[in-house]
Amino acid sequence: MSLRSLFIAAFGILLVVESTTVWLYQKFVPTTSSAYAQILMALVFFFVVLVVPATIFFFVMRVIVTPIRQLTKAMDAFATNGSRTPLLIPRSTPKEIRALTVTFINLLERVEGAHKHSMENARVKSDFISTAAHQLRTPLTGIRWALEALEQDVNLSEEQKMLVKNAVEKSHAMVSTVGTLLDISSIESGKYRYTFEIVNIDDLLQKTEQDFRHLAQERSVTLEYKPPTKRIPSVRADRTRIQWILNNIIENAIRYTPSGGSVLVFTEMLGENMVLVRVRDTGIGIASGDRASIFERFYRANNAISKENAGNGLGLYIARTIATDHGGDLNFATNENGVGTTFTLSLPAAG
Amino acid sequence: MNFDIVILVVEDDPVLKNLLGHTFASEYHMLYASNGTEALSILESNHPTLILLDLMMPDMDGFTFLEKVRGRTDTLKEVPIIVVSNLGQQKDIDRAKALGANEYMVKAEVSVDEIIAKIKEVLSRDASK
Repeated sequence: MSLRSLFIAAFGILLVVESTTVWLYQKFVPTTSSAYAQILMALVFFFVVLVVPATIFFFVMRVIVTPIRQLTKAMDAFATNGSRTPLLIPRSTPKEIRALTVTFINLLERVEGAHKHSMENARVKSDFISTAAHQLRTPLTGIRWALEALEQDVNLSEEQKMLVKNAVEKSHAMVSTVGTLLDISSIESGKYRYTFEIVNIDDLLQKTEQDFRHLAQERSVTLEYKPPTKRIPSVRADRTRIQWILNNIIENAIRYTPSGGSVLVFTEMLGENMVLVRVRDTGIGIASGDRASIFERFYRANNAISKENAGNGLGLYIARTIATDHGGDLNFATNENGVGTTFTLSLPAAG
Repeated sequence: MNFDIVILVVEDDPVLKNLLGHTFASEYHMLYASNGTEALSILESNHPTLILLDLMMPDMDGFTFLEKVRGRTDTLKEVPIIVVSNLGQQKDIDRAKALGANEYMVKAEVSVDEIIAKIKEVLSRDASK
């Protein structure tokens, strides 16, 4: 049946019943002398006038409203978390509602199919990057080792030493890039797992300042961490990854600042909920053409992520991805006075 | 020069084999295998003091070889094994350690000097036992 015929039928029934009842009432009630009969008739009248519409109303509600509610719940469940609720279409369902439900199910299939396809594509791409990176890693490591062994050869001329040194650096850069590709593909495939804990940024920065004191002195650059005047809330973060980001930003600030310059690290709040870590240098700045290549050094230390992470802006990509995965961001901008750059890492406050 | 010390290098990449061979040939007795199967047959008639093991090899891979060695009933069961592999993910490290590897080094992250230092460290640790 269709809703249209349902409503027409309901209307028709109602009309017929009501008018029959009124006619019957008019016909019988005044001519009946007994009060008993009159009361009885009145009761029948009211019964019919109230009950019949009520029944029709109830019936229509069940046939229309219930399936619509069920459909809405199923839509909501899918929209919220992609879960599929089984949809029953009893035979009593009006045609239009049946059509609506079937169309919805088809739409759902299409959406799920597209999603699966897209996930599959991403997985294939990520597997490809991962395989390619692994294939590159072995020969590159072999080249690096061979060059490192050559570097230690005492029988080289000065020029040969220079050549080998250059080649060693380039091979380090390549191994670095490959390591970064592997990290990227593991981030994108969702295999990158974070271990979140409550982290006190102040403590982290004190430690980082200590770690880089030596490098800063070596390069005659002043490194200073200014603790906040007001207490900064802790953040919920993966300590090692955030430490890695901070290490990279600070090391680069030091390396790209000429001697006599300074690197200032401080924290502030953006509103109530965002903790900002700023690293401000008086360095050579980042020409717009070079923005991509800032994380270029072969960073060799106790890094939880691959020790090498650099080259062609990929390190920055990873750092920013980690920051956004934490609900924050990583940005940089030239300082207002035109000298140097400020990197800003933002992280949401915990709790 | 201590030819009592026998190092078995299980590795299919010639570069590392050459570099290690070059460094240690005058110090220790070196044995080489290109995969797990070859390594196992070497173990039939030799008793290495230390095994350097790659994981990604054709035929029998490092994990399988590791399992087999630790599953033995003779003294070779306890031989110190240093895994030197390009597999760098934590799950690979955990798996190798769980199977009984004593040390794990990721090729892409270390220099040959570090590998040599580690070998010497494990040998002296073992000798002082």
